Amino acid sequence: MSRVFVTGIGVVTPVGIGKTDFFRALLAGENGAAEITLFPTHDLERSHACEVKSFSPREHLTAAEARRMGRASAFAVAAARMAVEDSGLSTKQLAGPRTSVVIGTTMGEANVLGELESAWIHDGQEAVSLRKLPTYGSTLLPIHVARAFGARGMVKTLPAACAAGNYAIGYAADQVRAGRADIVLTGATEVIERLQYAGFVRLGAVTPDLVRPFDADRKGLCVGEGAGMLVLESEESMLRRGATPLCEVGGYGLACDAHHITRPHPEGEGSELAMRAALTSSGLTPAQVDHINAHGTATRANDAVEAKVIKKIFGDHRPLVTSIKSMIGHCMGAASAIEAVACVMTLQQGVIPPTMNHEQLDPECDVDVVAGSAREADVKVILNNSLAFGGYDAVVCFAKNGVFPETVGRAPRAGETS
Amino acid sequence: MKLAVTGCGVVSPLGIGREAFVDGLASEDPRAIAFTSPSELLDPALDAISAEVSAFDAKAWLGKKGHRNFDRLTKFLITAAKLALRDAKLKTDDAEWIGVSPSRAGICSATAYGSLDAITELNRVAELEAPRYINPARFPNTVINAAAGYVSIWEDLRAPNTTIVDGNCGALDAVLTAKTHLDHDRGDVFLVGGGEVVSEPLYLALRKLELIRDQSAGLECGEGAAYVVVERPAEADARGAKILCEITGYGTAFEPPTSEALLAHVSEAAVARAMEEALADAKLKASDVDIVSSAAGGIARFDEAELRGIARVCPDAAVLAPKQFFGETFGAAGALAMAHAVAMFEGGSVLPLVRGTATSTPTSIIALAVGHYGNVSAVVLRAPR
Repeated sequence: MSRVFVTGIGVVTPVGIGKTDFFRALLAGENGAAEITLFPTHDLERSHACEVKSFSPREHLTAAEARRMGRASAFAVAAARMAVEDSGLSTKQLAGPRTSVVIGTTMGEANVLGELESAWIHDGQEAVSLRKLPTYGSTLLPIHVARAFGARGMVKTLPAACAAGNYAIGYAADQVRAGRADIVLTGATEVIERLQYAGFVRLGAVTPDLVRPFDADRKGLCVGEGAGMLVLESEESMLRRGATPLCEVGGYGLACDAHHITRPHPEGEGSELAMRAALTSSGLTPAQVDHINAHGTATRANDAVEAKVIKKIFGDHRPLVTSIKSMIGHCMGAASAIEAVACVMTLQQGVIPPTMNHEQLDPECDVDVVAGSAREADVKVILNNSLAFGGYDAVVCFAKNGVFPETVGRAPRAGETS
Repeated sequence: MKLAVTGCGVVSPLGIGREAFVDGLASEDPRAIAFTSPSELLDPALDAISAEVSAFDAKAWLGKKGHRNFDRLTKFLITAAKLALRDAKLKTDDAEWIGVSPSRAGICSATAYGSLDAITELNRVAELEAPRYINPARFPNTVINAAAGYVSIWEDLRAPNTTIVDGNCGALDAVLTAKTHLDHDRGDVFLVGGGEVVSEPLYLALRKLELIRDQSAGLECGEGAAYVVVERPAEADARGAKILCEITGYGTAFEPPTSEALLAHVSEAAVARAMEEALADAKLKASDVDIVSSAAGGIARFDEAELRGIARVCPDAAVLAPKQFFGETFGAAGALAMAHAVAMFEGGSVLPLVRGTATSTPTSIIALAVGHYGNVSAVVLRAPR
């Protein structure tokens, strides 16, 4: 069973494009929220979101690529290009059936569909763009990335709502471990679209002002968008080309609350199962975890449940917890992929981005929040946490090289649990 | 790969439930049962024909309450899941688990356009009235994985719930997902399959792209859902489960188009490579394969390339085209193909044949799924020992 390493990362986010700008903005506590420019909001009770405003497709895509893909695919291909460049992999090394692509999302090319349906509903079928029609479909997300690099292995889309990034990264690691791929380009992508935004507003989930994860005065999330992509590589492939890993991917945990379609289980049953499974499959104990990059949406229900589970599992150990959603918003399917990039950067630089707008800890959220400003820390092990619509729970473990035991990634033996 | 298939639940135009499905396949004219003309789901003015689960009565399968806000796909998936779990004797008729904990039961479910009709419903409200009037109780239906999420809630499946959107390949790709979860001990039983529904936006889009059958060429829309229950063979044996068949191989491949300008395309090479990979995984020779259950759906250039790919790997196998009976069901196609394979292993009719001569007692079947963007997946199913 091969070990799995991250050898490249790339991001498109509301606070910066590319890992350097992104992480610098996080450490500076920048706020990506602003008035929405993508669609009119006059008939909604909220009007702000974390849009990616500085993205120019032609800076990242060929003319042909830009013509045949929507915004979500464009984000993914752009982030993948940055990740590949970061990895030092050549086109020749990537091309072929040993490279796969696994991408997560919540709603894929939602804005393409929104435009098509708007034309159809108001002006009939004749008004629907024949050029745009084929560009809808979540299947296309990994196809576009695979085409960009000549990858000819598995192409897979995992729509797992707000846990999609972790689903994709975990499954990609599975494939490398199982020897089904040497390299997997993986991550997730999401765009802000009117219907989806209105849905969150109608659910009462969108904050009227700031995003305050784990704060007593938190009032909800801010919708965001973007993409995070990672190059996962087998140890053999990495050694063969003499590459240096950014960090190692450990085990991951998945579970389903089977409780409610939008609300987490009140006791966090699925979340606990997923976190414990991530630890067990990584061969680690809770005491070895230094930091949790939390789901931390700043909704009343999510943060209380997530904190309850962290406290239950970690007890007095209290790993440092942060939620970068306070700066980039909730990028839905892309959230945990972008957060995974933040995890890799934290392991690289030894600094944890802050949870902004956090002034008074909610007694219901008794965790050690990195509040207000970035904190330097000797972080060796990070859990990247995510919870999602559908009761999906997914947690991925990242660590500095040499931390995970030999057993990392293997199935647990009977009775083993963290 | 070795997975035991111990249950099968089907919602199809040919019938709901495994027995009704087998009976429909064995009828004198399955197409006459499956295809509804004119469509009951699409605007009558379209004069459309599609393979529909006619008069589907959710109350008959799900009871009277609790599903008011479910969309059609969700109802199909829950019904198929319920039937599969009971067929596998993992649940009683009273929904009690038998011999497995809900925390060890999961689902790997595919769809390609599953949430489309739910999105359209809310988009109509948003466009014609205002976004603030959309029904928040129906908003979750617009999220692709919501339908499978409802299955977990309804059937109490607490092991991983994975939704897969790989176009036509999704349900076969779900096999590898379940195998991966089983290998990592993330559960002990998984529902594997998926669903799709006939919807007006999808039909109109396909018609605009000139992919819908008119006189002789093009695809016919279909709908349905199916799950097979997969387990580790030793555990299925240990609980005395009836093994309906085994899944012994999986392969997948992607080939880009020859022109940068193309988006939709088919690759004969990808067909051959996915089949070869699946055969190698199953440790089978091509000559061992009795039947290839093809993905042929009526788009000539796709069907011809697929047949050439099949001929490269399994020139002597009989080739079926089950979409002649089910219509094109995209994400559900592989699920219905696996249910069809189970039916054939159980003595059901081996039709519709498009090439070669089929044995009535097949022992090895390859189910193929051919995506519209150069992706292909293949699964090897074997008769029970």
